[in-house]
Amino acid sequence: MKDDSIRHPEAAAAFLADREQARWHDSAIWWVRQKRDAQASQLPEWEALRELARTIKAHTLSRLDDYLRQFEEKAAANGVTVHWAADAEEHNRIVHGILAARQVKKLVKSKSMLTEECGLNPYLEQRGIEVIDTDLGERIVQLRHEPPSHIVMPAIHLKKEQISELFHQELGTEAGNNDPTYLTHAARANLREHFLTADAGLTGVNFGIAETGGVVVCTNEGNADLGTSLPPIHIASMGLEKLIPKLEHLGVFTRLLARSAIGSPVTTYTSHFHQARPGGEMHIVIVDNGRSEILGSDDFFQSLRCIRCGACMNTCPVYRRSSGFSYSYIIPGPIGSTLGPSRDIRKHASMAFACSTCGSCSNVCPVKINLHEQLVLHRKRAWDAGAVPTGKKMGLMAMRFLTRHPALFDLSGKVMRKVVPILPEGLTRQSAWSRAGRDLPEMPEQSFKEMYRRREEKN
Amino acid sequence: MSSRDAILERIRRHRPQGPDLPDIHAVSFIRFEQPLAAFAALIRQLGGDAVELAEGQSVRELVAERWPKAGRTVDITGADHEEAATPHDWQDVDIAIVPGDLAVAENAAVWVSHPDNRFRSLYFLTQKLVMVVPKANIVDTMRDAYARVRITEHGFGSFIAGSSRTADIEQSLVMGAHGAMAALVIFV
Repeated sequence: MKDDSIRHPEAAAAFLADREQARWHDSAIWWVRQKRDAQASQLPEWEALRELARTIKAHTLSRLDDYLRQFEEKAAANGVTVHWAADAEEHNRIVHGILAARQVKKLVKSKSMLTEECGLNPYLEQRGIEVIDTDLGERIVQLRHEPPSHIVMPAIHLKKEQISELFHQELGTEAGNNDPTYLTHAARANLREHFLTADAGLTGVNFGIAETGGVVVCTNEGNADLGTSLPPIHIASMGLEKLIPKLEHLGVFTRLLARSAIGSPVTTYTSHFHQARPGGEMHIVIVDNGRSEILGSDDFFQSLRCIRCGACMNTCPVYRRSSGFSYSYIIPGPIGSTLGPSRDIRKHASMAFACSTCGSCSNVCPVKINLHEQLVLHRKRAWDAGAVPTGKKMGLMAMRFLTRHPALFDLSGKVMRKVVPILPEGLTRQSAWSRAGRDLPEMPEQSFKEMYRRREEKN
Repeated sequence: MSSRDAILERIRRHRPQGPDLPDIHAVSFIRFEQPLAAFAALIRQLGGDAVELAEGQSVRELVAERWPKAGRTVDITGADHEEAATPHDWQDVDIAIVPGDLAVAENAAVWVSHPDNRFRSLYFLTQKLVMVVPKANIVDTMRDAYARVRITEHGFGSFIAGSSRTADIEQSLVMGAHGAMAALVIFV
C-alpha cells in the first residue's frame, strides 16, 4: 500500500537529490516515449484509431449498466462465476472467501493495478495465504516491500545493481553479477517453481467483452498464462470500466495498447479467457470502488476511458523527473493525478499541482482523455476544499491580487527587473528556481508590454 | 440491496450521454504488399523466427534441423497426438509443435486455439514454441484477425507474438521471461 501522506514537491525534491539516478530515470522513460512515437508513425490510421477508441469507450460508459448485465449473463452461460464488489474491502473479502473455501495456501498473481488499489496482498497475507507476484518488475518491488513506481514498468526506479543485490539475498544469485539476462533467468527458474506449486492464480483484466462474457489479459512475460493454466482456480479482478461492447472492438484496442505502452506492435501474449481450464473453475470479480461516483461527475467521467497504458506518464516532464514515488495515489503521473484527487481531493491535492499543463499527456492518450484539463479542474476543487498548503495559497492570492490590478502588476515587474540583478547572491540562491541548481535568468530591460508597444509605434 | 444491484443502480443514475458505436470497418487501415515478408521481418525483432516449409520437407524435419539436440518434443498438429493427464505434465517439454489458425502481418502475432488440446499450459511451459500456420491464413491487421478468430479451446485462445520477454531490469530486453525462450512460425 502507498503512503498517502506523500506531498509531491517534497518527495520530488528528495528524488532529485540523486542527480545521476534522476537523469537516468528521465532518459530511460523518455526512450519508451520515443519508441511509442516510432510505432505510432508507422500507422497512417493512428489518429483515426485513437478517435475510434475514444468513441467506443465513450459509448460504453453511456450504457455501462446494460453492458455489465450482458457481460454477467454471457460469463455465467460460459460457466464462469461473477461476483460484484462495491468497494476494496468487499473485493478482498470475496477473493479471500474463494481461496479460503478451497484451502488455497499459495496464490500466484499477474499484474493488476486494481489489486494494488484494493490492498489485496496484505489482506491475504494477514490471513495466512502466500501471495507471489509473478511479473518480474512486480516481483522485484514485492521482495523490496515497495509499491510499483510505474503502472507498466513497476521497477523503473531501480538500477540493476540494486536488483542484483536483492536477488543475491532473496534468490541466492551470484554476488555482483548485474547482467539483466542472468538475473531475469534466475527469477524465471524461481518463479516456475511457484507456478507449478500454486493452488490458485489471480489476474487483472485489460478488456472485458460484453458480447462474449470473456476477459482479455495482455502480458509480455507469459506470467498471466502460466498462472491460470496450471492451478485449478482462476480469479480475474476487473474494474467495471474495463468493458468493451464487442469482440471486434479488440481490433482497435489491441492495436493501440502495446504501441502506446511500450512502443511494441503488440504484447507477446494477448490471451482470451472465457472458461477455466478442464477440471478448473473461473471467477470474475467486478469492482466499483468509487468508479460509479466518478461516472456521475461531468468534469471527470472521461477518466474512466483509461486503458492503463502509461503513455501519459512516459511523456510527462514532471513524472519523468520526479518518479512514481512522488505521487500519493497508487497510480502516478497524469492519469493518477486525476483518479487520485477524484477519490479524495484532500489527500491527493498535491498531485493536481504536479503538472506544467503542457498537455503532452492528452496528446498521446490512446483514448483521448483531456488529462491536463482535468488536473486544472482538480486544482479548483483543492482550493475550494481548503486543501492547498498555506505557502502556495498565499502565493496564489498575491498573484490573483496582482493580476486584478494591472498598474500594480506593471510596477512590480519594473521593480523586479531593477532589484533582482543587484541582490546579493546569497539571497537569490534561496529561491525555488536556484535551489534546483539553475542560475537566475537575465532580467530584460523592458516588459513584454513595453516591447510590444514600442514595436507597434515603430510600425 | 445487493452490491450488484446497488452498483448497477448507481451507474444507471450517473451514466453520461454518449455517442453511438462507431463502425470500425469504415476507416481504412494499413495494408501490406507482402504480408509474409512483413511478418517474418517483424518476428525476428520479437525473439522469434518465421520460415516457409520447403517443397517435400516435413515440419518435423525442419524442427529437427533447427534444434538437433532437442529434448522432449510434443506435436499436437496431427489427429493422433500425445495427451496429458494434468496441466503440470507438460513441464519438461522442450519443443511444442502446435497449430496456429492465422497470422497477423502488422504485429507478428499468431492465433492459437486448438479444440483438441486439453491443457493450454503446453503453450507456456515449453522452452521452444513452434506454431504451424497455413500461409493463406495471413491477415494485415488485428481488425481482420478478430473478424476470423474462433475461440475453440475450452474457452481459451491467444495471440502469441514471438517469445516471452521482459525489460523490467533497466529497460534491457531479455528473451525468456516465463514462457517460451524461442518461437518459430512455420508457414505451410
